[in-house]
Amino acid sequence: MTPFRSLRALTAVFLLAFVAATALTGFAVYSASQRIVTDLVDRRIASVSGELAELASHADTALLVRQIEALGRQRDTGDLGLILTTANGRVLAANVRPGKPLPGGFSTVDAAHGIKGLSTGRALVRPLGDGLILTVIAETEPVDDYAAARARIYLFGFGSIILVVVGGVITFGFVIGRRIVAMRRTVEAIMDGDMARRVPVDGSDSAFDQQARAFNAMLDRIAALMAEISNVSNDLAHDLRTPLARLRARLQALAQAGAGGPDTAGIDAAIADSDALLAMFAAILRIAEIEGGKRRAGFAPLDLGAIAHHVATTMQPVAAEAGQRLDEVERRRLPVLGDRQLLVQALINLVENAIRHGGEGAHIRIETAIAARGRDRWAIVAIIDDGPGIPAGARAQAMRRFGRLDDSRGGGGHGLGLPLVE
Amino acid sequence: MGLHLLLVEDDAALVAMLGDDMRALGHDVAVATDGRSAIEAVAHDRFDAMILDLMLPEVDGLSVLQRIRQDGMNLPVIVLTALGRPVEKVEGLDAGADDYVVKPVIAAELNARLNAILRGRRQPAQEGDTLRAGDIVVSPARFRAWRDGKAVDLGKIEFNLLLELVRNRDSIVTRAMLLEKVWGYDFEPGTNLVDVHIRRLRSKLMAEGGPDPISTVRGVGYMVPG
Repeated sequence: MTPFRSLRALTAVFLLAFVAATALTGFAVYSASQRIVTDLVDRRIASVSGELAELASHADTALLVRQIEALGRQRDTGDLGLILTTANGRVLAANVRPGKPLPGGFSTVDAAHGIKGLSTGRALVRPLGDGLILTVIAETEPVDDYAAARARIYLFGFGSIILVVVGGVITFGFVIGRRIVAMRRTVEAIMDGDMARRVPVDGSDSAFDQQARAFNAMLDRIAALMAEISNVSNDLAHDLRTPLARLRARLQALAQAGAGGPDTAGIDAAIADSDALLAMFAAILRIAEIEGGKRRAGFAPLDLGAIAHHVATTMQPVAAEAGQRLDEVERRRLPVLGDRQLLVQALINLVENAIRHGGEGAHIRIETAIAARGRDRWAIVAIIDDGPGIPAGARAQAMRRFGRLDDSRGGGGHGLGLPLVE
Repeated sequence: MGLHLLLVEDDAALVAMLGDDMRALGHDVAVATDGRSAIEAVAHDRFDAMILDLMLPEVDGLSVLQRIRQDGMNLPVIVLTALGRPVEKVEGLDAGADDYVVKPVIAAELNARLNAILRGRRQPAQEGDTLRAGDIVVSPARFRAWRDGKAVDLGKIEFNLLLELVRNRDSIVTRAMLLEKVWGYDFEPGTNLVDVHIRRLRSKLMAEGGPDPISTVRGVGYMVPG
């Protein structure tokens, strides 16, 4: 069933089935009415033929010929074709002359038989005794071009039904499709971090509108829960950062008071630890800020190429001190909509990561490019290093919050740099 | 340089710590724990500067700031903002704050920023063509620097670092202040970015000999003597 799960496939299958069923019905009705007409005509020519056979059994040939000629003139039998021949084919009486011989019993005649004024009909050929043969022919078309007219009636009747249904189904599919696309765009925007996006509602109170409102209400609820969590994390970070800053200030005062004393190294290490903790809180709050979509309101057009150039210039001395080389490959303009601070921070985190794990002598490159698919364009900035890289199996761990790879635990960092970039 | 300061903050622990530390730095610190008493305090007393938390009970910090600016008071104000609320910085600066500090706040950072603001107010905008600190001369207009009369070839970042230090000569400039003023960052990168660039600046300034003109204040920042 998988291929028929999409809305478009379901619509197509339904339409095909509907058109096939309608065509079949049209054909069945046409055939049935055709059969009924044929039966009626057969009965009529059998009746006339029977009466003449009855007459032939007790009257002479001359009377039979007169009766046939009389039937040809009468109003209710004048449309019949009547032929009386001898066994050797001599015509004794006839008001029609078929161009082709007709077989015995019932048969169908058509234009090919060359009978004037007849396009389709039925014929009954029967022997009368004394070597005489009687042929009775009648049209199955009550009026000229009846078959064509009937075909037109079916075509217009069933055709209009098909048109109405196909049009209705396509419109229905379009309306449903549009609503589904609107909902999908909303979901995609939310996944991209635009938490304020909602499904458009047209106020019609239709089933679609009710669905959209229910969906939006769910998003509002999620947003409220996220705001609560964000507030809790902000308050928690605020409350924890203040005593931590106090601890740092006290350590600093101790360091200044006892400068050069035996405890200096220990106090400096404690200051470094408290700085690392403060940086970790800053990163947690920054991630909460990004996930909450608070930054999105400040998005502005900017040149990502210029940002990449700025990061390269800023980080080159840092790489040089680590015995590495950082190059910017070809500077280009990359217009994007974004937050300069966040983009700079993301690129710096990536370069820091490359410097920290690239090893001595590593060569780090910042490359920019534009990718296109259809009318969409993406600006790409790649930070490439020739260091050992992250093994494929460990990438998920590296992207996890506080997730650090075993060999990097001693190498500084707090395990939030890459998640922040993501 | 002892200043008469008004600290407006409702967090008792932070008030105790900042108050003590600022007093230890030679300042005279008055405290208001809500917005209303802050407005009353500035109406009755003359302060050199105000340190104002934005999240306050009753009247919030932003309203306090708007009120005192409406009343025509131009005392220097540093607002305290919580990290993760970048909009507070913008609102604070728009409402007339001179600077902002992201919490948690330490006295050394506040002190450095106060000094920078007061120096800026004493030497109004018409910064001469050149600035001088000891044997260092910097020309912001010509983007040139000299030490002991000899031109020093500096990159853009190094030049801006030196300019910021010379502008605040004799005062400590913290790493956060340098990241803001020189790089325009509202975050602290994981690497010691400032230290690395300061080392490069130092080596260029000392290329022709002479003592190190930049002193490091451990755990706080840097200073160039005037």
